[in-house]
Amino acid sequence: MPDSDNDESGGPSNADFSSPREQDRFLPIANVSRIMKKALPANAKISKDGKETVQECVSEFISFITGEASDKCQREKRKTINGDDLLWAMTTLGFEDYVEPLKLYLHKFRELEGDKAAAGSQPPPPPSSTHNGAGVPVGYGMYGAGGGSGMIMMMGQPMYPPAASSGYSQQPPHHQMSMGGKGGAYGHCDGSSSSPSGLRRHDGL
Amino acid sequence: MEPSPQPMGVAAGGSQVYPASAYPPAATVAPASVVSAGLQSGQPFPANPGHMSAQHQIVYQQAQQFHQQLQQQQQQQLQQFWVERMTEIEATTDFKNHNLPLARIKKIMKADEDVRMISAEAPVVFAKACEIFILELTLRSWMHTEENKRRTLQKNDIAAAITRTDIYDFLVDIVPRDEMKEDGIGLPRAGLPPMGAPADAYPYYYMPQQQVPGSGMVYGAQQGHPVTYLWQEPQQQQEQAPEEQQSA
Repeated sequence: MPDSDNDESGGPSNADFSSPREQDRFLPIANVSRIMKKALPANAKISKDGKETVQECVSEFISFITGEASDKCQREKRKTINGDDLLWAMTTLGFEDYVEPLKLYLHKFRELEGDKAAAGSQPPPPPSSTHNGAGVPVGYGMYGAGGGSGMIMMMGQPMYPPAASSGYSQQPPHHQMSMGGKGGAYGHCDGSSSSPSGLRRHDGL
Repeated sequence: MEPSPQPMGVAAGGSQVYPASAYPPAATVAPASVVSAGLQSGQPFPANPGHMSAQHQIVYQQAQQFHQQLQQQQQQQLQQFWVERMTEIEATTDFKNHNLPLARIKKIMKADEDVRMISAEAPVVFAKACEIFILELTLRSWMHTEENKRRTLQKNDIAAAITRTDIYDFLVDIVPRDEMKEDGIGLPRAGLPPMGAPADAYPYYYMPQQQVPGSGMVYGAQQGHPVTYLWQEPQQQQEQAPEEQQSA
């Protein structure tokens, strides 16, 4: 996919990276920096190496979760990683707190995309917003595909029960895969998924 | 949220006295200013080591109380953080404009050769997940910045957050060892209760898990040079882990 397809909401700010490939490994530092500032007081400052370190951490987070979700899809002989696979992977890897907000987010997204897919019996026209710029056709195509995918998944049983409450302390019992302490959690992960993952990646070398 | 900055003197005293349960009593002589500042009568706790003097016991108790108060404050900040996330998502109506570019997220996902097809909703989920991840990591890093009475978040603050938070174990390769050592004057651990990790646990011991080398190799597959660097890093970490001890 060409770089021109990136739909950055901020201006390009990757001038400090020398090669395009290096640039593709990370999310734009301007976007990362903007999000970081939302978590800090107004008078806080962030060093450049602090921003770059978080950039690297986010890419590692994406690869970490994606790897686990990909392993699950292969075990189940499915080719496409979907949103539920990512939520499952986050639960498995200790990010239970993320699942409840993201389930709500995914549910709302699917509702919106479902409406679009149902309404559109022919290729939908590109959105009129000029904000998306050159990325409009590709971006909209992605959402169209998402609509179809969403319809398929709506036929299945939701992977997680609906949760009305918020806060990490009120998690449903069956989500607490990390109970039994740190060693137990990692032992479970290694036994069920890490070994195949390691073997597969060793073959890649 | 407006967390109040903690006094440096007390924080330093706390970090030095807290490990007293694991070190000889001589180690507690250093924070003399804390001793002279905090003298008051009180009954010694049975849990304290018997060989500590009355003065050291008082300092130890005060350090414990300070430590617990700071941990409670940080826990409250994190609870507030998650409540805010739910509120923010409930109010979301726009799913076209994301804080992070979907195409770039997809490209990072596809860096893994095992990944074949990605549904359109996956990058959307990741856009929100990464935003939450950045916010949480930044918040935890800022706690360390404040403990050191600074206003600029630095790489070593992120290293401290990674060290203290179990779910960030997969990130230990990102920050070099010497950045973590600066964590000496901070608090050893401020993890979430549900994780159930022992207060004295060292995250480094779980470095050899296969996910981390796998991630390194995935990146290495794209470029020749990073293979050597990323693959050597876990081995180096493993060699250093047994020698690692808490700063005193």
